[in-house]
Amino acid sequence: MQAYLIAVVIIALIYTLLALGLNLQYGYTGLVNFGVVAFYAIGAYTSALLSLSGWPLVASFPVAMLVAGLAAYPIGLLSLRLSDDYLAVVTLGFSETVRIVIQQEAWLTRGVQGLPGIPGMFQFLGVGKYAEVATLATLVACNLAAVVLLTHLVRSPYGRLIQAVRDDETAVETLGKDPARLKVQVFMLGSGLAGLAGAFYAHTITYISPEQFLPLVTFYVWIAVIIGGPGRTMGAVVGSFILLVFLEGSRFARDLAPGVSEVQMASVRLAIVGLALILFTIYRPQGIMGRRAQ
Amino acid sequence: MTPADFVNLIINGTVEGLLIALPALALTLVMAIARFPNAATGDYMTIAAYAAVGVQVVLPGSLVLAALGALAAGAAVSLIFYFWVFRALRGRSLVASLVASIGVAFFARSVLTFFVGHDQLALQVPMARAWNFGGIRVLPLDLVVAAVSITAMALLFGLLQLTPVGRQMRAVADNADLARASGIRVNRVLVVLWAVVGLLCALGGALFGAKAVVAPELGWELLIPAFAAMILGGIGSPAGAVAGAILLGIAQELSVPLVGPSYKVAVAFSILLLVLLLRPRGLFGTAIAAR
Repeated sequence: MQAYLIAVVIIALIYTLLALGLNLQYGYTGLVNFGVVAFYAIGAYTSALLSLSGWPLVASFPVAMLVAGLAAYPIGLLSLRLSDDYLAVVTLGFSETVRIVIQQEAWLTRGVQGLPGIPGMFQFLGVGKYAEVATLATLVACNLAAVVLLTHLVRSPYGRLIQAVRDDETAVETLGKDPARLKVQVFMLGSGLAGLAGAFYAHTITYISPEQFLPLVTFYVWIAVIIGGPGRTMGAVVGSFILLVFLEGSRFARDLAPGVSEVQMASVRLAIVGLALILFTIYRPQGIMGRRAQ
Repeated sequence: MTPADFVNLIINGTVEGLLIALPALALTLVMAIARFPNAATGDYMTIAAYAAVGVQVVLPGSLVLAALGALAAGAAVSLIFYFWVFRALRGRSLVASLVASIGVAFFARSVLTFFVGHDQLALQVPMARAWNFGGIRVLPLDLVVAAVSITAMALLFGLLQLTPVGRQMRAVADNADLARASGIRVNRVLVVLWAVVGLLCALGGALFGAKAVVAPELGWELLIPAFAAMILGGIGSPAGAVAGAILLGIAQELSVPLVGPSYKVAVAFSILLLVLLLRPRGLFGTAIAAR
């Protein structure tokens, strides 16, 4: 039971990193990133492949973050000069393309077979509880650092500027600032966080394959941000934990409804995610934590 | 590659393009009139394709009835989600409707899979051998698909250009406030819009199901090609959506000998990026659409 709880909290903290990144992009800056999972996958595969070729994790994690952030650069540059909806379409296309490339380029990624035997974190502590607790502690530290940094960032002059980009782009332009440049920067920063989350995921699960990086992951992160309240850093944290309680809780719920198969339960889970996206957008766009939108 | 192979690829690409044109038209009409990218477009197609299979299970053999069932289901689903979701979000930001449309996509697809499962199904279509003209092969089914698609487009352009409600739709697309001020009932126009969107998706879903298989991801997988076709043609331009879809279909087919069939979506995505880089307003786009 203890091991199970630790495993669930680790996954919840990985989702929190993803949600913090998306919240910076969407909540504060208004960027509709429908390709979160692409940057997550890039981070996971980068760190996994590097560590499998002998890199230490202290080096592969930052590189994973960097590669994911840099991957966002051309995507942002191409779509962020245009209106908001282009980024949504382009990032969605990008995430499907990344997954297909991972599937097809088996010489690098072993394709659909996936990458087994990725070094776990803190292996020198042996396999089992100590390594898991150390992983958990590292994730808590990373999340805390991210929350503190983001809280400072959004209160800084730069933070006020990106929120102004979200609220009134023309006003930002009349101040002589370039909204497109700010958007590209925020897009890269948030995607770097997703890359870090991917690295944590790869070394926690120790096996990754393309089917773990479906668009569904992106929308899990979206629902976490939307439930928590876009533009509220703590909202992303709360939203991610609510998401994980729901995802894990629905496994136990199946015991109460024996007529429903595992596959049908997956449909129910997905239907509830879709329904929550619809209902929150219509009735409570500020999320459970947020104030009424300005 | 012989010249005949090349011609075959062009023919296949054109047929595929005529199919993609249907959801691309649905996307571009919503973009022009309701002003958001509707990510649920593909899943309306999926539901309609399943409806066609369902009609065939009850009444075996009748393709026309199956098609009518698909059309009814497509229009119904589209209107239900308009009245429930998108009407409530009118006047809110584009992003709100966009996010809600993703919710609609997931909700619609998972309600479907809860009842019908994930197995691949097939529409019963009369099997016919391809006609062979000196190496150039033409499938009779492809001709039917092309004819139906072209007829539907002709009807749509007739509706938009020749009828009062079509004129009103174009007026709302141009300037919604001005249209309302001149006495156009925007609500009525939107109901017609969503009915038309449902019919276009239904036709696309049923034809695609007849050509390939009916699976829960049928429409979702066509969403990115349809988006690419819309942007290639110019957002908000129906003629552009059709031209963009045909160009995209041909490009996808021509890429198959080079990069293999798995990369079709990636090809659509690359074309999308190229358009954004070189001509963001698309082939027929107006300056407003791309800002």
